[in-house]
Amino acid sequence: MVEIAERKYGDLFWKALVLTIVVFLLGVLLGFALERNRISEIEKEFQRIDLQWNDAKLQTLYYQNLEPRFCESAINENLEFANKVYEEGLKIEEYDKANFLTNDIELEKKKYALLKAEFWINSIVLRQRCGADYLNLVYFFADNPDLETRAEQNAQSEILKDLKEKYGKGLMLIPLPIDMDISMINIMRNTYNIDSTPTILINENIKLQGLQDFDSLDAMINERL
Amino acid sequence: MMEFITGVYLFFIFVSLYSIFLVLLIYFRNRHNLYLENNTKFFYDISVVIPTFNKERCILETINAIKNLDYPKDKIEIIVVDDGSKDRTAEICREISGIRFLEKSYNSGKADTVNFGVKNSNGEIIAIIDADSYPDKDSFKKMIGYFDDPETGAVTASCFVRNTGKLIEKLQAIEYFLIAFGRKILDFVDSVYVTPGSLSMFRKKVLNEIGGFDTKNITEDIEVAWNILKNKYKNRMCLSAKVYTDVPTNLKQWWRQRLRWNVGGFQTVHKYRKSFFRKSQKMFGLFIVPRFFISHVLSITGFFVFVYLFGRKLIESGLYWTYSIQNGNTIFEVPSLLLIPSVFTFFILLLFCFTIIFTYVGLRTMNKVGLGFKAGFTVLFYLLFYLILYPLVLLHSLYLLIIGDIKW
Repeated sequence: MVEIAERKYGDLFWKALVLTIVVFLLGVLLGFALERNRISEIEKEFQRIDLQWNDAKLQTLYYQNLEPRFCESAINENLEFANKVYEEGLKIEEYDKANFLTNDIELEKKKYALLKAEFWINSIVLRQRCGADYLNLVYFFADNPDLETRAEQNAQSEILKDLKEKYGKGLMLIPLPIDMDISMINIMRNTYNIDSTPTILINENIKLQGLQDFDSLDAMINERL
Repeated sequence: MMEFITGVYLFFIFVSLYSIFLVLLIYFRNRHNLYLENNTKFFYDISVVIPTFNKERCILETINAIKNLDYPKDKIEIIVVDDGSKDRTAEICREISGIRFLEKSYNSGKADTVNFGVKNSNGEIIAIIDADSYPDKDSFKKMIGYFDDPETGAVTASCFVRNTGKLIEKLQAIEYFLIAFGRKILDFVDSVYVTPGSLSMFRKKVLNEIGGFDTKNITEDIEVAWNILKNKYKNRMCLSAKVYTDVPTNLKQWWRQRLRWNVGGFQTVHKYRKSFFRKSQKMFGLFIVPRFFISHVLSITGFFVFVYLFGRKLIESGLYWTYSIQNGNTIFEVPSLLLIPSVFTFFILLLFCFTIIFTYVGLRTMNKVGLGFKAGFTVLFYLLFYLILYPLVLLHSLYLLIIGDIKW
């Protein structure tokens, strides 16, 4: 028989709401946990790299002032460090895309940017004092660019990756974000008059603005190595 | 902008989760009552109104299906109302015995045609049946008992697809199964919001009270259901009563039909906007109108957000490829975002799982009446591709509504 008396179902709406809130909050908490976990992974890696960086810096200082004849070790340490920082930077970039709920990754990005800036200075010192034969290629990019610039930067990044693969230890690739409000990078920007991205600075004296193709960069690097 | 988009997505997820949980909770509480019928001893006088417009190929079969119904013959009056057909519909109908054939010399739309039929009917109950729909033998018997409840204004049946040859027809067959299942679920919370023209019965007194079908609305079957609910009557759904109908056989026809459904839906929401969260109108004001409104707003906002993100990505990728090719780069970036778990990957997977559960439960419930074809591949296609067409049609409908291009 079809029931004619008034049916009671109001509780179902509330139960569904409670269930939704519980599942939704669990999902959001899981999201926070995932993002927090990624941040702490980056933090740990940063600590390791920072330690290694301090070691490399001390070596530079030591060879530069006390034992200039044995620069080789400092140069190698610097190169190894460069690769690690570069790879970690790519990882942060990927994590950044998957972080929706927290903003903590911005801080990590800034820390890495500072580290890379410091590393650049160290590379200059090593090249000048130890006569290292690598080439410094600083790649200035924007962290939050417009659509067209982002596409240009992506294309430039791939070209630089290709070149890094080709020249290995001969090329010190240092990507630096120019729009993260870091004073040290701002000083560098002003020094080299960097006002657009992508911009490439080779050995602190050749500035190339806009997207550079593989062949011309390849020829330029080849000429200087 | 990204914060706004994240907010929209989270809200969308919340509403979707709520809808799914609500449906599942209603189902689990009532799963043994889905096919419950009312074996009434009382047979009401029924006037069957069949509106026709250029239906020469199917009108005879529809009338025969009604004549063969397992219901006392002296209790059924068949009224065919022709809406100014240009084909042989009128000629065919004139030759059929045992029916009342009413001819309109002009074409004034379905709602007006039905109203004309209702006005000329004698039954206490009005059954509206489309000229391309074929009710099952026992459908009337199963439905009529619901009118024992004086608060019942309308009763509707499970509508199934008759032509299931092509893929698009099979997809609609699955869709119709799930619609019937979903409607029955809503019946348990007094929220049946549409009384489809394929087969629905109305208490004539109620139809007269609400002023019949709205001739300005292009989905008169949604509008009349809302009007009944607004006037504090109930719409009921009899899952075991079946009617078969011919569905669009190609994408163009399908698209047109869905445009009509959506535009009519918008018209109806607009007409009843003042009922939004009106407590005095119970489920109609507190659930049906807000549900429609929110789902429309979310679908459209969600679609625009999707278009914005997808469009951005598309332009960016296009420019990236162009620059890469122009500058001698041969390595192309592969997006790795999907591989990194985030709050959205979790929710999207969860919603997809629940959609599969709903589809499974729905089809399993409806399987008692038989799917008629092996559904595995079609169900997968339905879930992955067919459902994606919904927001596209919705957007097109919104455009038509804005430019005022509203026609049946």
